[in-house]
Amino acid sequence: MDYLNYLASALAGQSGLKYELSSQNWSTDFLRFFHSQTNYNISKDKLSLSVGLWRGKKSYRFGIDDPNQDKIDLALRDALAIIDQLPEDPDFVDLETDLSIAPPRQLNNNIELIPLDTKTAILKELAEAAKPFDFEIYGTFICNYVQHRIVNSNGLDKSSSSSPIYLEVKAVHNQSQITVLETFGGDDFNRFDPQDFKARLLQKIAYCANPVVDVEPGYYDVILAPRCVAEYAQYLCWGMSAQAFDEHSSFFEDKLDKQVFPEWISITDDPRDPDLIGQDYGSNGHIYNPLKLIDRGVFKAFLCNNYYAHKTGLPKNGNTASCLSIATGDKTLDEMIGSVRRGLYISSLHYMNFINMKETSLTGLTRDGTFLIEDGKITRVVNSLRFTERIERIFNHVQALEDRGYTIPFSENYEEFDIESVKAPHALVKDFNISSSTHTI
Amino acid sequence: MEHLIKDIITKLNLPGVTFADARITYTDSEGIRFMNGFLRDYGSSKASPALGVRVLINGCWGFAGSGDLSKASIDRVIKTAITNAKSGSGFIKDPVRFPMLPATIADYHFEPEIDPFLMDRAEKLEYLGRLASAIKPQGKIVHSFVAAQFQRQEKYYANSEGSYSHTTVYNTLPYMEVIAADGKQMQTRTWPGHMSAGRGGFELFYQQMFEENTERIIKEATELLDAPGIEEERADIIIGGGHLALQLHESVGHATEADRIFGMEISYAGKTFVKPAMLGSYQYGSEAVNIYSDSSDPRGMGYHPMDDEGVPGRRVDIIKDGILKDQQTSRHIAHLLGLEPSSNMKASFADDFPLVRMTNFCLAPGSGSLNELIESTEHGYLLDFTKTWSIDDNRNNFQFTTEIGYRIDGGKITGIVKEPTYFGITKDFWNACDKVCGEQEWKFHGTFHCGKGEPGQAMLLSHGVAPARFRNINVSVKI
Repeated sequence: MDYLNYLASALAGQSGLKYELSSQNWSTDFLRFFHSQTNYNISKDKLSLSVGLWRGKKSYRFGIDDPNQDKIDLALRDALAIIDQLPEDPDFVDLETDLSIAPPRQLNNNIELIPLDTKTAILKELAEAAKPFDFEIYGTFICNYVQHRIVNSNGLDKSSSSSPIYLEVKAVHNQSQITVLETFGGDDFNRFDPQDFKARLLQKIAYCANPVVDVEPGYYDVILAPRCVAEYAQYLCWGMSAQAFDEHSSFFEDKLDKQVFPEWISITDDPRDPDLIGQDYGSNGHIYNPLKLIDRGVFKAFLCNNYYAHKTGLPKNGNTASCLSIATGDKTLDEMIGSVRRGLYISSLHYMNFINMKETSLTGLTRDGTFLIEDGKITRVVNSLRFTERIERIFNHVQALEDRGYTIPFSENYEEFDIESVKAPHALVKDFNISSSTHTI
Repeated sequence: MEHLIKDIITKLNLPGVTFADARITYTDSEGIRFMNGFLRDYGSSKASPALGVRVLINGCWGFAGSGDLSKASIDRVIKTAITNAKSGSGFIKDPVRFPMLPATIADYHFEPEIDPFLMDRAEKLEYLGRLASAIKPQGKIVHSFVAAQFQRQEKYYANSEGSYSHTTVYNTLPYMEVIAADGKQMQTRTWPGHMSAGRGGFELFYQQMFEENTERIIKEATELLDAPGIEEERADIIIGGGHLALQLHESVGHATEADRIFGMEISYAGKTFVKPAMLGSYQYGSEAVNIYSDSSDPRGMGYHPMDDEGVPGRRVDIIKDGILKDQQTSRHIAHLLGLEPSSNMKASFADDFPLVRMTNFCLAPGSGSLNELIESTEHGYLLDFTKTWSIDDNRNNFQFTTEIGYRIDGGKITGIVKEPTYFGITKDFWNACDKVCGEQEWKFHGTFHCGKGEPGQAMLLSHGVAPARFRNINVSVKI
């Protein structure tokens, strides 16, 4: 049964009613490992419908998991009885009107393409490689497959699929607990090079042969690994949302077309970048086009969906900052490390939270490999550190960017499990505020 | 449904399957959000089904879940769980083992005072709309929310040891927030803070006195725009219940989840500084600090007659007179540590894999009222209403900011400070606790959003706490 067509037919006769209907058929194959062995294997699937109804400025939404005709009929009857009793939202104007269709993309179902035996074979090889250094591997190897369709009463009818892969391997030293991280993410398994992945992991393990030290709080020149640059950019984009603008909590509230960062900072939301996990449609089914957010240091656009376009007057784009690409610079990583007399190399960040979103102030910690740089060389492993900073200050303090970008996958782990990616280079940042030490690895 | 779930267990009575369990949940949920005085979102989902089957074969867990409860789907889920266990067991060094437990049968059905799914809808919306109107933009208030989330979950559990339970619970998350701005900065005030969820229905709005506090949050958010920050390096702080619940959650609750000791959460949620050798001797806190996990207390969202692997609900002393005594465990981990399982294995929905989770994780009351505690403080700050929280991978270094601090001089509240921020090391901090308020100040706080595991699960859980004082805490953080 085609549930959305059934719903659309059932609603067609309802005078003055607008609707937005979507379906999602989601499945995952999820291997979690620890101490160089399986922790558990999970397979899950879920078919769910989401229905939004509007009569005038009154609206009501409902969801149905594992739908059938009886469930739909019952939920629809209830919703139609409820909607007229509700108060109005004066800011609602209309549903999405963008009918553009994204160009077709070649996509495999990676759950079928990468069976469990293939995953465990890859992990066994990595575990064997780490073993001579007394490291064991921990992490996850995930494949999702999602089919999505959205339909509305303005004639919008769009379907899309995605099948992201996420491999996260943490190598942990059995005695010291020093940890390093390597990841692969994307929707094309052909881009996974197991030997290159292993070599990069072993390179990081080699850094851990140095002794562990603590450093005092203070301002340091730091090399931020691409994962860190990517994560700061993601947090920065919260303030680029039209919702944040509307709530007066955006750093960018009065900064459209103004120079906010040095001219070597450019950030684009680019679903067409082949290195990133692609996305066809954004908010409410609006086509997902490349969007310049920061262009040579100038703030260029808010991420704005249909509702907030009507409410705020900002131009609509439907982008959600799910495909961020940070422009590269002109330095090699060795040149960047070589230019630091005493500073830190930070591999990964942990548990960041805004203190004041409008000021972009936040706190968080380093994780999975923090290293001391002395006279242009990595010389020590450093205990994990706490920073308290403003993201705008971090980007304003970028001194150099690496001449290549890396694809960094992130697992979206609250509510529905999803995977997205960001492309970023290493960055050299001056005067980065380390506010305390954890005294532990 | 009892027949269906027991039939699944019967089908799993196969050679090589050393343990199996199955769960089915049906979840009703409803969310309402008013923004700036107007209804912005109203949505619901009824009887959302989920099935999960977990098997232990060759010492390896295999799991499969689905929202489809048809016979064909159930057979597919069983087959997939078995395949996952068998395939995974090719990458196993230390097979999972644990002792058998006697079969337990349980039946529990909570009844809220005001069922949010059955109450008069107009009455519900009129009440929330009234709150929303009271805090809509005015003066320097530029944005406001009133939100409610309601959940009803019916659960069936059965395992290969003969245990079976059927439970129904109701949980509610009530919340309101105002944002004040003056063009240069922005400050927020919430009521009753981020730990507002609890076991119950719509009555939580009345119990938590929302209408009585609308003017307060408007006034305080506005005044925070011009309030000073804390200037001292160190100060005595009294932490109010709502925020102390989160401090407890992050620096003791997660730290004593024993799956972290064995690295099972390294890849996402992290590790813990706690080591097995610390049990029985580690001075985690001062003698005023007594902390326990109690899944047998029906007042909290963590109550269950048995957990999601068949262990009956129970109270376990985690910290007694400041000494670390026990851990939150699964059956597998308890066996590894030589402990009794603590009844802490929980999954958010049936199609989620159960993990070691906090249930009702509580700081035992001491004595005296909050007023008496303030009166006995010469100089310091009363901090409450969480704004920012962060803790490291080992649950050792934390930093929190609250929305507001109340300055105490000579045993009296003398003013407010904005964004008070404190940080410390877990052991030092809990050893600096010199006083916990008594029963009259002790109550449950809770959250719907404790994230853990991969694929991620958001757990509903409670913390019973009373306000407490901590001496000479570092409150100097330059941003």
